[in-house]
Amino acid sequence: MSRWDVAFLSAVKMAMVSVIPSDTDRESTLLRRARAGDPAAFRTLFERHAPAVWRFLRDLLRDEAAADEATQETFVRAHGRLSALRDGDRLGAWLLGIARNVYLETRRRRGMTHVDVDDEAHEGQVEAVLPTPSPEDLLLDRELEGLLAEALGALREERRAALLLRIDHGLPYEEIASVMGWSLPKVKNEIHRARLQLRERLADHVGGHS
Amino acid sequence: MNAPCPEHPLEALLAGELPFDEAERVQHHVDSCAACTQSMAWLKLERGWMAQRARRAPHRRALDFSALEARLASAQALRARTQGRWSHQGKMALGAIAALLFIVFNVTQQLPPTPAEDAWGLEAWSVPAGETCVDPTREAVAAIEARVGACLVATPVVLSIAR
Repeated sequence: MSRWDVAFLSAVKMAMVSVIPSDTDRESTLLRRARAGDPAAFRTLFERHAPAVWRFLRDLLRDEAAADEATQETFVRAHGRLSALRDGDRLGAWLLGIARNVYLETRRRRGMTHVDVDDEAHEGQVEAVLPTPSPEDLLLDRELEGLLAEALGALREERRAALLLRIDHGLPYEEIASVMGWSLPKVKNEIHRARLQLRERLADHVGGHS
Repeated sequence: MNAPCPEHPLEALLAGELPFDEAERVQHHVDSCAACTQSMAWLKLERGWMAQRARRAPHRRALDFSALEARLASAQALRARTQGRWSHQGKMALGAIAALLFIVFNVTQQLPPTPAEDAWGLEAWSVPAGETCVDPTREAVAAIEARVGACLVATPVVLSIAR
């Protein structure tokens, strides 16, 4: 295994330990208890999923205080609708779906608009000029993190949401289709285009160009 | 020009979502395809960046359960109030339905009388108007009295004539 692979796997592993629930069986038990009205079980579920929900909302709203409020609203709604969640449903995807609805309502209430920066012609050129990232590029310093946030923010809202559900929250394409209310081909197409736009914006900072 | 290779099999490979045989096939393709090698490098980069970003997310007060508890309590109180209101409104609706049924029941009880009841109706006790009230003369009364063989003392017309 190359140094590149080791660096990548260790970064992913460290994040998985802190972000993604490790034991789905235990989660379904918690969910059953929470549905039965056990506040401790709901608290555990909140503590496990709230950071991901907050991050998703922060990335959509691009406002940390608004993400705070929207995260709480998401969990208040989730608490009231726990009985609607079926045993086979994945709690994470379900919560992110509620979060997206809360985001859409917040946006409507605040009269938020987004400047669409999509440029189909530009996307066509991206594949030809992209550099190949090196293992050193994996390190996300503060400057690059800011650029990444900017690049994500430049994506059209729906595209950004779909991309984040995939690359940040690890949802399968089928679940993204369900959260977004899209067909599977549309999900794949939108995520592909989002990736091309993101790479184009960050190309100058990878592959030894920085 | 060949169509570019789709990226989602590469992504599925990275995410460990492919069955073993399929994973081997995709990996074999990546090893021999420069475009897919580059795509894999970008996909790994994205995943790595996102993982670091997730770890660095700031701690927010809103992520403390204690901050949520007050909102949950007020939401539950609101739900209980709403349910109570619906329950009250339900009782009122039931009362209205009961009153309506009572009225309908009473109306249906006042159906037209059956033929047997009709024999005992008011018509059976009425006297034809022409014979008692139309002709007020004494001769006419006397003629009627002679015909029925009885004195019509209760007839107002007759009484007024007698005075």
